[in-house]
Amino acid sequence: MLGWKVIAVAALALAVSAGLTACADDEPAPAAKTAAAPPACPASWKPGWQQLANRVKAPVYCPAWMPSPLDGDMKGPTKNGVSVEPDRSWLASFLWHEPPAQDVHVNFRAYPGRTVIPRCEDTQVVSGKVRHRDIPCFSDAQPPRRIGRFTVTPYTVNQGVDQWHVLYLWRERRSIYTVSQHVAKPTTYRQVVANLDRMMRGLVRIEPTV
Amino acid sequence: MRLTRRELLLGGTAAAALGAVGVYELVDRLTEAPTRHFGEGRAPEQHLLDGLRIADDNGVEIVVPTLHHQMVTATVGSRPGLEEQASLERVLRHLEDEHPGTPDGLAVTAAWGLPYFRRHVAGAAERHLPVDRRASTSGRPRRALLDAIRFPSDPDDVLLEDNDVAFLLRSDNLEHIQEGAKAIFDAMDGVLEMTSIRKGFAGGGFDGGPGLPKQLATAAGVPGADLIPDGAELFLGFTSTQKHALGPPRIVNFETLGLVDLGPDSYFHGGTHMHLSHVFEDLEAWYLNFDFAERVDTTFRPRLEVEPGTKTVPQPPDQAASSGDVQSDFRRFGAIGHSSSMQSTSRLQADVMGADGTLYRKGTAVPQRADFNTLDNPFFWSSRPRHDLMAEGPAAGLHFVVFNPSSDDFHRNRLAMDGVLPDGTKVGLKPRARGQGLNSVLQTTHRQNFLVPPRSHRSFPLVEMAA
Repeated sequence: MLGWKVIAVAALALAVSAGLTACADDEPAPAAKTAAAPPACPASWKPGWQQLANRVKAPVYCPAWMPSPLDGDMKGPTKNGVSVEPDRSWLASFLWHEPPAQDVHVNFRAYPGRTVIPRCEDTQVVSGKVRHRDIPCFSDAQPPRRIGRFTVTPYTVNQGVDQWHVLYLWRERRSIYTVSQHVAKPTTYRQVVANLDRMMRGLVRIEPTV
Repeated sequence: MRLTRRELLLGGTAAAALGAVGVYELVDRLTEAPTRHFGEGRAPEQHLLDGLRIADDNGVEIVVPTLHHQMVTATVGSRPGLEEQASLERVLRHLEDEHPGTPDGLAVTAAWGLPYFRRHVAGAAERHLPVDRRASTSGRPRRALLDAIRFPSDPDDVLLEDNDVAFLLRSDNLEHIQEGAKAIFDAMDGVLEMTSIRKGFAGGGFDGGPGLPKQLATAAGVPGADLIPDGAELFLGFTSTQKHALGPPRIVNFETLGLVDLGPDSYFHGGTHMHLSHVFEDLEAWYLNFDFAERVDTTFRPRLEVEPGTKTVPQPPDQAASSGDVQSDFRRFGAIGHSSSMQSTSRLQADVMGADGTLYRKGTAVPQRADFNTLDNPFFWSSRPRHDLMAEGPAAGLHFVVFNPSSDDFHRNRLAMDGVLPDGTKVGLKPRARGQGLNSVLQTTHRQNFLVPPRSHRSFPLVEMAA
C-alpha cells in the first residue's frame, strides 16, 4: 500500500523540483527579458510595494522575480501578509504550501533608521518551566558577497518567521533590509542561495511618494 | 565535482558490493594518503592501530584517523570447528604478512556477537565470557558482553542486530581494504554469510582544504552539505579525535581498569568490547537551526567560550565535567553538552593504577572511538534490504564504532548522553529536546554489541574449547 504513495510523493517532489529549477535557471524573469535591460517591478505587483513605501515613509525594494510558484503581488494568491510595526519596521511574506510538508516561503523585511541586528526572544519549555532567552534574530553570518549593486551578508541561522531560512542582509542609508527563503522540500539549500541571488539582482527601489 | 547516478548506485550482490567502492572512491581522488611508517609490530590487542599521526589544530593534539573504513558483518553458516578456525586465522595472518599494521597498511579487527557465543560455543562461553564486576550484583552476574539496548533518544524502530561476527577494516589505502575483505570472505566461503557491508571515511582536512566530509557530501548532493565548515573532520563540524578525548591505547582492555573478571583462564585477556551502530545526521537541521554558539553549547558545554569557526575545542582531563556540573548546567541554562554529559562516565573519576602498570590520571578518557562518516543509506549493501530499510541515494550519517571495557560501560556513557547520569539522576530534558542539540538531529537505525578477542583468539573464539 505504501509503494504508490512513495512514488506519488516522489513524483510530485520531482515535478515541483524540476519546476523550481526551471524557474530559477531557465525562465526569463517577468521584468528582465534581456540581460541588458534593467530590472523592473512588474506593473501588477508595484501598487502594493508603493503602498508599503508610503506607509513606512521609507524606500522599499520590489522583486522583479520570485521563485515559482510565488509572485510578488501583495494581493496575489501567494501573499502571506504584510505587517508594519510602530517603529516602521516591516515584514512582507509570500508562501506556497503543498501538504503535507512542501513549502516555498520568501520574506522581505526592513528596519528603517536601524543598523543593529534586532533581537528576538527564544522561548523554550524545559522541565515544565518556560525559559526566555534574548538572542540575535539573525546569526551565523557568512562572508559578505557582492550581488549586483548590493553587498549582502548571508545569515544561515535565523529566528521567528525566518527560522530555517537563509537570509541575505544589507545596510543602506542607516537602515537594514533583508530577504530570506525557507530551505524546505522541494528547495535545497543550494537552490535557495541561487534564488536569493537572482532576487537580489532583480530588486527595484521604490521611493515613497507621500 | 558531482557524482553520476551510476557512481551512487549500490552493488547488487554481496561479492560485487564487497569489491565496489561507489562514492568512496572519491576519497582517493580528493586526498593523498600520507606516508606513515611508525612501527610495524602487531600488539596482542586487535583493536589497536599502530602509527597513527598526531596533528595540531587550535593548539590541540589530534589523532589523525585512517581515511578509509569498512565494516562487514556476517553470520556463521554451520557449526564451526577447528578447521574453520585455522582457515580464518590463516587468512588473517596472511593479510598481516602482506601489510603492516599501520594506516598505510591494513588493520583488521574481528569482533564476535552474542548470537555466535550462544549458538556455536555456548558451553565454553558460559565458562569463559568475562563478567562485568561493576554491573553485577550479588547473585546476578552480568557479562561484559550484553545484548544491545534502545536508549531514551533512540527511535522506537531501532533495529537491534544479531550478527555473529563483524570485521572492521581500516587503512589509508582503499585497495588494501578491498583486498582484505575479499580474502577473508573468499577463504570462508560457505562458512561465513555476509549480512551487511558498511563503508565510510574520516578526516582528510587537517592539513588545510575543505576536508573529506564536505567534499564527499557535496559531491553526493546531500542536503546541507554546503553548510559543513571547511576542514571539518566530521559532518557535524567538530573534531572528535583529539588525543585528550580518546582513551590511551590499553585502557579499554578488559583487564586494565579492573572492571571485568576474566574468568578461570583469562582467555580474553587483551580483548575488549565494541559497540557498532548506524546514525543518520540531519545536516540542514543542525546548521540552519543551531547557531555556532548553540552548536558549541550542546556539543561541548553550555556557555563555553569558543572563538567562532573553531573546529577543535580543547577538552583536557582537568576540565572534565562531573555529574554535578551537568546538573548545574541544566538548571542554569536548560541545556546539557553532549561531551560534558558523557564525561561524567567516560572520564576516570579518580586516579587508577592499571593492570598494565600505567597510572591513569583522573579525567583521562576511557572510550576509544573508531567511528567514521558515511553516505550509506543506511548500509552500502545488505543481505536483507527490506529488513534493514535500505534506501536509494546517499544520506549523511555515521557508522559509530567505539571500544569500551564492557557493554555496561558503553551503556552508561550513552545513557549519560541522554541526560541519565551514572548515579541514576535524570536531567529533565525530553529524549530529543533542543537542549540536547546533537541528539535532536541524530537518528539511530541499528545497534549491536560485540566482543573483540585478543589477536591470539580472534578466529572463532572458544571453538577449540567446545571441540
